[in-house]
Amino acid sequence: MSLLDFSNDVFIAAFFLYSAAFMLFTIAIMGRRWSGREPEEHSARWGRAAFIASSLGLLCHLAYFFTRWAGGGHIPVSNMYEFMTFLSMMVMVAFTVIFSIYRKILLGLFSVPISIIVMAYAAVFPQEVQPLIPSLRSIYLNIHVTLAAFGESFFAVAFAAGLMYLLRTVNFNSSSKSDKRQQRGVEFTLFIIIVIIGFLASVFAFRGAGYETVFIRSNVTVDNPGQKDSTIEKVSYKMPPIVAPYHSEIESFQSILGIKKPLFEAPFWMKGVNAGRKLNTVIWSLLTGAVLYGVLRLLVRKPLGRALQPVLDGIDEGDLDEITYRAIAIGFPIFTLGALIFAMIWAQVAWGRFWGWDPKEVWALVTWLFYSAYLHLRLARGWQGRRSAWLAVLGFLIVMFTLVGVNLVIAGLHSYAGTD
Amino acid sequence: MGKARRPVQIMILVLIVLLGGYAVGTTAFGGDGKPKEGGRAPSFELLGLDGKTHSLDEYQGRPVVLNFWGSWCAPCVKEMPALEAQWEKWKAHGVIVVGINVGEDQMTVQNFVNGVGVSFPVLMDQDREAVRSYGISPLPTTFFITAKGTIDTIHIGQLDLGTLDAQIGKLVNR
Amino acid sequence: MSGNPPLIVNTKCECGHQNPVGTVLCEACGNPLLDGADSARPLEMRYDGKARRSQKTNPGVIDRVWNFFSSVKIAIYLIVLTLLGSTLGTVFPQESTFLHIDPSTYYKQRYGTAGDIYYRLGLSHTYESWWFITLLVMIGASLVICSLDRVLPLYKALSRQQIRKHRRFLTRQRVALATKVAEGPEDWVSKAVQPLKKQGYRVMTDGGALLAEKHRFSRWGPYIIHIGLIIFLLAVLARGLPGLHMDQHLAFPQGEIVHIPDTSYYLVNERFTVEFYKDEEMPEEFRGKKVLPKLYETKAVLYECTADCGDPSREPKLAKVASHAIQVNDPLSYKGMKAYQFDYDLTPVLRSVTPKLVNSATGESYGSFKLEMKNPQRSFTAGPYTLELKEKYMEFGLSEEGKPISKSPYPNEPAFFFLIKGPKLPAGGEPYFYFPKQNDKAEFQQDAINDKLGGQGRFLELEVGDMSGVDVSESTSYLNVRVDRAMPFVWVGAGIVMLGLVLGFYWQHRRIWLTVGEGELTLGAHTNKNWYGLRREVSSFLKKMDINADEKSLENGGDPA
Repeated sequence: MSLLDFSNDVFIAAFFLYSAAFMLFTIAIMGRRWSGREPEEHSARWGRAAFIASSLGLLCHLAYFFTRWAGGGHIPVSNMYEFMTFLSMMVMVAFTVIFSIYRKILLGLFSVPISIIVMAYAAVFPQEVQPLIPSLRSIYLNIHVTLAAFGESFFAVAFAAGLMYLLRTVNFNSSSKSDKRQQRGVEFTLFIIIVIIGFLASVFAFRGAGYETVFIRSNVTVDNPGQKDSTIEKVSYKMPPIVAPYHSEIESFQSILGIKKPLFEAPFWMKGVNAGRKLNTVIWSLLTGAVLYGVLRLLVRKPLGRALQPVLDGIDEGDLDEITYRAIAIGFPIFTLGALIFAMIWAQVAWGRFWGWDPKEVWALVTWLFYSAYLHLRLARGWQGRRSAWLAVLGFLIVMFTLVGVNLVIAGLHSYAGTD
Repeated sequence: MGKARRPVQIMILVLIVLLGGYAVGTTAFGGDGKPKEGGRAPSFELLGLDGKTHSLDEYQGRPVVLNFWGSWCAPCVKEMPALEAQWEKWKAHGVIVVGINVGEDQMTVQNFVNGVGVSFPVLMDQDREAVRSYGISPLPTTFFITAKGTIDTIHIGQLDLGTLDAQIGKLVNR
Repeated sequence: MSGNPPLIVNTKCECGHQNPVGTVLCEACGNPLLDGADSARPLEMRYDGKARRSQKTNPGVIDRVWNFFSSVKIAIYLIVLTLLGSTLGTVFPQESTFLHIDPSTYYKQRYGTAGDIYYRLGLSHTYESWWFITLLVMIGASLVICSLDRVLPLYKALSRQQIRKHRRFLTRQRVALATKVAEGPEDWVSKAVQPLKKQGYRVMTDGGALLAEKHRFSRWGPYIIHIGLIIFLLAVLARGLPGLHMDQHLAFPQGEIVHIPDTSYYLVNERFTVEFYKDEEMPEEFRGKKVLPKLYETKAVLYECTADCGDPSREPKLAKVASHAIQVNDPLSYKGMKAYQFDYDLTPVLRSVTPKLVNSATGESYGSFKLEMKNPQRSFTAGPYTLELKEKYMEFGLSEEGKPISKSPYPNEPAFFFLIKGPKLPAGGEPYFYFPKQNDKAEFQQDAINDKLGGQGRFLELEVGDMSGVDVSESTSYLNVRVDRAMPFVWVGAGIVMLGLVLGFYWQHRRIWLTVGEGELTLGAHTNKNWYGLRREVSSFLKKMDINADEKSLENGGDPA
């Protein structure tokens, strides 16, 4: 198993290299105005170092991928952990492609953290190499999943560039109605990102503390008069239960942070025993995210969007607009091929129908329709600049819902992708 | 397109309306392929207890009462005497009652028919092909088919003498 | 389109060309016709400023319908509505995901009031609803009409390009430059040809004017995508035509030949296998805790009926035509018919038993016979005895009146009723109940029943010695048998879409116009995508011509439109 151990080691190395690259990108941008420096020269020098660090990180990441492939015997994209690590790798590939075209150091400052967050999200899921169940044993697993993720990673870069465009151009000093709306939109987007970080923080904090509480619930169903079927469901919480599953009992309870019993019970329409656990996770993420956001606001004493704006001073907004569009234009054909056409081919081979309106399929189609609307609006209706940037931000949120949300909220044929 | 522009436009629009109408018609209103009241009764070829192959076509011109049953199905067993009585009553009017047994072998069917005293023709659908084409799910299900071969009524569940009589009367008077 | 043209316009350009109504840029020289000569905004270059087909001053009904579908705005509304409509269908599982439910009660039971409303709104079959299909049809119409309306003017504009363009046309391109040059017009232009050719341009000159163009094919990308989508949609529609499509879920008990309805094919599941991962193939965390399937496989043989088909009173004559080990991602395929591994059931099904007739007093055996569950022989002989099979029950039970009945047609608890005749037996025969399964024999008290029926001195018993006397079908494999003759067209459509995407997005149509005169070079350049790349190319071209122009300085104003 040494190959897999090596694989895990280089993965961690990649994570730290990306973090280092992120810091170097930050210095390259933020340190421009440090005394005694030529801003251009400073940015170029530190930017080069940052790009070298991110490229080394990508090399390690690739090494992780191929050694895990060799060690596990199948391409590591078969469960949520593997898929997310792969997606974060593809985000870095997409970043490298776009960076080598446009040479915008600032792009690193916004793309690399996306990759880091996705990597951290991967670590939420069980990491062992699982053997493939029969339905996944197909060459189309390799083609469909990798191409879809590759296309989506360009959308991620477009998201980064779009968000940068907004931060650069939204007028934070104006109090006109439309400007206020833009400000709130940017702030809300940043808040969502912080909530995701809050989710990761709470998962890893409580995991580090080894927290666990178990609930049981017995379900009695009456099939025929006089014949009762009773099943016992068990659910293990890895975060302190603010919300208990609907109609459940505590089997074992670990108190932490003064929480001695669940504060609420999930509402009746959350029937599944896991629905309560998921709701609990959402509440913890929102809480942690809100606290994080509050602390940041206290530190900078103004809306985060306004605090970030000076970072983007002097960046050409036309370039950002162009990068957003270009990333989507590169990603769209790849996404179409991977997420729709090869998905159809595989579905045809495995199930005999190329399209079955499974939730995951539908959401891939929704993503595709969204980006085609984007392209039509831009090419034929002249939607450029801010409106186009908003669409790029929204589009990636749809992509993330398709990848994560569908598995969490709606279960379908793709539920084997291993959800938590 | 030049001068031919208008005819080309009209042709394309007509094509879109036709194809679109077909698409909406078949998917949204076409149903699930099961026969419906008012539709044509699907044909079948099944082995009868008499050892001969029978098809729906040979009853053409006569109202048909097509009853799907199984010897293990209690309501089927219970409605058999009513079917037999109506067969005796209406056969002079050209009505034919046909029982289609679902999935059982000849011995079971023969024993059952002898035991209950059924005299109308009974066919055996061992491979459940007629069951499939008629879209049967619960038993018993009875199809009342007009002399022209269209389905007049579909009755799911046990029939009593009165309903059966009324239904057949309706069928004959068509 | 942006901006309404004034109602009455003089469409004759200063260069003398008569343009059709709706023309934005003169078809000949490119002079902007619609806005004032003093405007400096970059030009609207869509369809090269040509009038679109549908723009007419006095539209009738057909024109109105045509214009409706020809509008990109409508197309975008259709896309967004389809997008929103499709998301509705993912709120609860669709009816089509279940094989056997009654949707009118299921949604209410499972999801409460919300589920009931969902069902009543018809959202439990969103993708088969009239409004969703109508949306798709309208998208199809929009694809056809939008493309037709744009591709023809664009084709005309691009195939008849004038080299010398109006000065305002050049200076109002998004990439533009006007600068002094020392050389004479024709010298400069002839010098410019080579570097442009090197950059992959096709170059045409006209005295002191030049047009360089490359990758024009990229402009057809969107229309190729739309053609592909139309073929795709038509193919999907064609799948529904009678005879092109078949979809059945069938059960294949191991070792039994099963007719595939509506075809002349028969399929035998010779052996069905399920394999699970062994402990050593699993990660440590899973060992002893999880069971993961590794393989589902049906060894299948396909037969075609060659004679006496479709007549149930005769045995059909079969010929083997194909055999395949069907796995989940590997269906059996024969002449457009495919059989997919779908499900399985490991419950063994009793097919026949071969009991011996023995004398329970002496232990003497009179011989054995094979008793089939389905269509058994009606009489058997064993030694001096004959056994007449009178009744058979597949799942033995008692009716409300206390009479023996069968509760289902499946051999779960089979029972057989014989009349045995022979030496030392009553002349009318001895009645005998036989339960082949040991469990049933005890449960239904076979001995007690027979003692009661046969009375004292009963000495004959039917017994199955060992497992060799029992024939079971070990498992049942469920296959999904499909025919889909329109599939090749679906793939052709998808392939054309991909081709269009690649042409349209990975290449860009670039054009550079320039005129030299009176000691001045005026240059304008246009692309349909990737202005950054175009500026870089123009800048490097100018550098070769000893003109230093920074990429940024070529940019002309903000966003068009």
